[in-house]
Amino acid sequence: MSPTALALVQDLRLFLPEVILVLTTLLVIVLDVTPVRKSHRALLYLTFCGLLLSGIYLLRHYVDLRESGGRASSSNVLLFGNSIALDPFAVYFKGLFLLVGLLTGVLSIRYKKLNPAGEGEYCVLLLCSTLGLFLMVGSRTLLMAYLGLELVSIPSFVLAGFQRDSRLSNEAALKYTIYGAIASGIMLYGMSLLFGLAGSLDFAAIRHALEGQTELRASPLLLSVSMLMILAGFGYKIACVPFHMWCPDVYEGAPTPITAFLSVGPKAAGFGVILRFFYQSLSTHSGGGDWTPIVDQLQWPIVLSVLSVATMTVGNLAAVAQTSLKRLMAYSSIAHAGYLLMGVVVLSKDGIFAILFYLAVYVFMNFGAFLFVVFLHDLVGSEDIEGCRGLGWRAPFPCIAMAICLFSLTGLPPLGGFIGKFYLFLGVIGRELYWLAILGVLNSVVSLVYYARVVKAMFLENIPRGEAEPLPVPFFYSAAFAVLVAPILLLGVYWAPLVKLARYSSSIFGA
Amino acid sequence: MTTLTSALYHAAFYADMVLTVGSACVVAFSKNIVRSAFSLLLTFVGVAGLYGFLEADFLVATQLLIYVGGILVLLLFAVMLTHRISNIKASNETSFSALAALAATGIFLVLVEVGTKTHWDVKGGPLGESTRPIGLLLMGDYLLPFEVAAMILLAALIGAAYLARNAIRK
Repeated sequence: MSPTALALVQDLRLFLPEVILVLTTLLVIVLDVTPVRKSHRALLYLTFCGLLLSGIYLLRHYVDLRESGGRASSSNVLLFGNSIALDPFAVYFKGLFLLVGLLTGVLSIRYKKLNPAGEGEYCVLLLCSTLGLFLMVGSRTLLMAYLGLELVSIPSFVLAGFQRDSRLSNEAALKYTIYGAIASGIMLYGMSLLFGLAGSLDFAAIRHALEGQTELRASPLLLSVSMLMILAGFGYKIACVPFHMWCPDVYEGAPTPITAFLSVGPKAAGFGVILRFFYQSLSTHSGGGDWTPIVDQLQWPIVLSVLSVATMTVGNLAAVAQTSLKRLMAYSSIAHAGYLLMGVVVLSKDGIFAILFYLAVYVFMNFGAFLFVVFLHDLVGSEDIEGCRGLGWRAPFPCIAMAICLFSLTGLPPLGGFIGKFYLFLGVIGRELYWLAILGVLNSVVSLVYYARVVKAMFLENIPRGEAEPLPVPFFYSAAFAVLVAPILLLGVYWAPLVKLARYSSSIFGA
Repeated sequence: MTTLTSALYHAAFYADMVLTVGSACVVAFSKNIVRSAFSLLLTFVGVAGLYGFLEADFLVATQLLIYVGGILVLLLFAVMLTHRISNIKASNETSFSALAALAATGIFLVLVEVGTKTHWDVKGGPLGESTRPIGLLLMGDYLLPFEVAAMILLAALIGAAYLARNAIRK
């Protein structure tokens, strides 16, 4: 075997979680077309097995990295000609994505609108999208970041329109596709400009090129233009202003489990790529876990802080007027992109840590809220706030769980969301960005208005006449709510283990 | 290069540019979607010519095979098979034209400024034939991106088949 081929085969061993996802995808396709009679949701359970198996190998990578001290100098950490990094940062995100994939599957079990004849395709697309999330956070080159992003996007376009007979779902798919195609196109243009300047697609090599040549420092215009264009692509994934327009319609029209997936998976992966790209290409590591922008004329943290404030303000103000729970959650997820951006602009390891910590809590809060939407649709047949009226007295446990998720999203103590937000604000204050912190806190107060509106409808409003009997809650929902809410409550009082994990994982490759 | 061949070279280049930009304008401004689709053919051919001027032989071939031969034909099929597409009022409607023109001009000026004022990282000298090195890279350093592209195509294929499937059997 040639040396290259040998290296590729060796790399493949460190790529097993991804390989397992691919193999599961292929297995599902084959089983789907074989004429064997399959029991209901069999392929979905097979998908669970694939995700869990992938998780076992991911855990092994984590243990290996820990034992080798996660040293950036270790030669095994860059795979496939430096295009993929295997570092604690990537492993942490991949763990989150497996959780997101599993929870999406769990939500789909009881989701009635899902076409049973399309189950195979549904699982295949979900697995492909998860694989794309994996590649996005591992990417070390512009090329891999782009390909990962497309591998997330293209299956999600179809998943958003999975209910083919629903007009709203079709509209969601179309809007998502058109916005996605434009965002990708703009991003590719920006990437090609940056490539023309730096002569390389590799994040680290771009930084070296920008640091090395002095005359390059005279082209801040090109850097700004290409940065903004690249941001259009990543910003679309995290749904930050002004690339958020698709979000409410897509979230409303897509099947609810997919909405939950979109609100967490691509958003987290977008933040992973943003952190890698901005910290590794456009910043210099100045030691001690701090970074500074690489070119003085290009103060990208200021651009991002303005976007952060705009995003949370637009998201929160628009959410106040919503009547549909899914649209409300869409604007809430836009607002959260704004909060999370605060962690990017501080340019420090504390910021990365705060984002990692918050995202973990965010997975549970958001899936909890969307589980409630599935529950509401399943048992009451509504997806609006109107449908929650008086439900708190008919089905107390799900409603209390929903209230916990919503209060945690607001950032009230003693819940996990409070701790997460606390660390985000701590990072901002540590950088003496007081105006950003104040605007962030004000926004959290506004968000209480609309989250509390849902809770008020559930507990304080009169039950519609003739619907006063208690609602029998299937065991599935009780169990699922318990699983999702327990971490939120636990992380509100005992968050040290997650802090340790997130701190450890905030070491990006090379820093 | 003699003066005559140089002049011919330049003439060919500018002819190609006029073809590309002119047909792209028709694509963007025509009210008739069928006409837009057919002008796109000339745009794609013009871009292939541009790759030719850059001595990127592999890109010329892919541009012609994939864009002209594949994507455009698909696009034309889509246009022709869509029921009464030209009757739909909103098919190519222009709105906010003044604002759009302003924004487009602004972006154009910025891009011109960027293109002319930047010290590009130019690798000098003729490239020679590029197909073989590209093939080797795709099987070596760029094997992973190549395979990921395969996964993207697989997902797109399955997704498209699901959406386009006529009636759900079972």
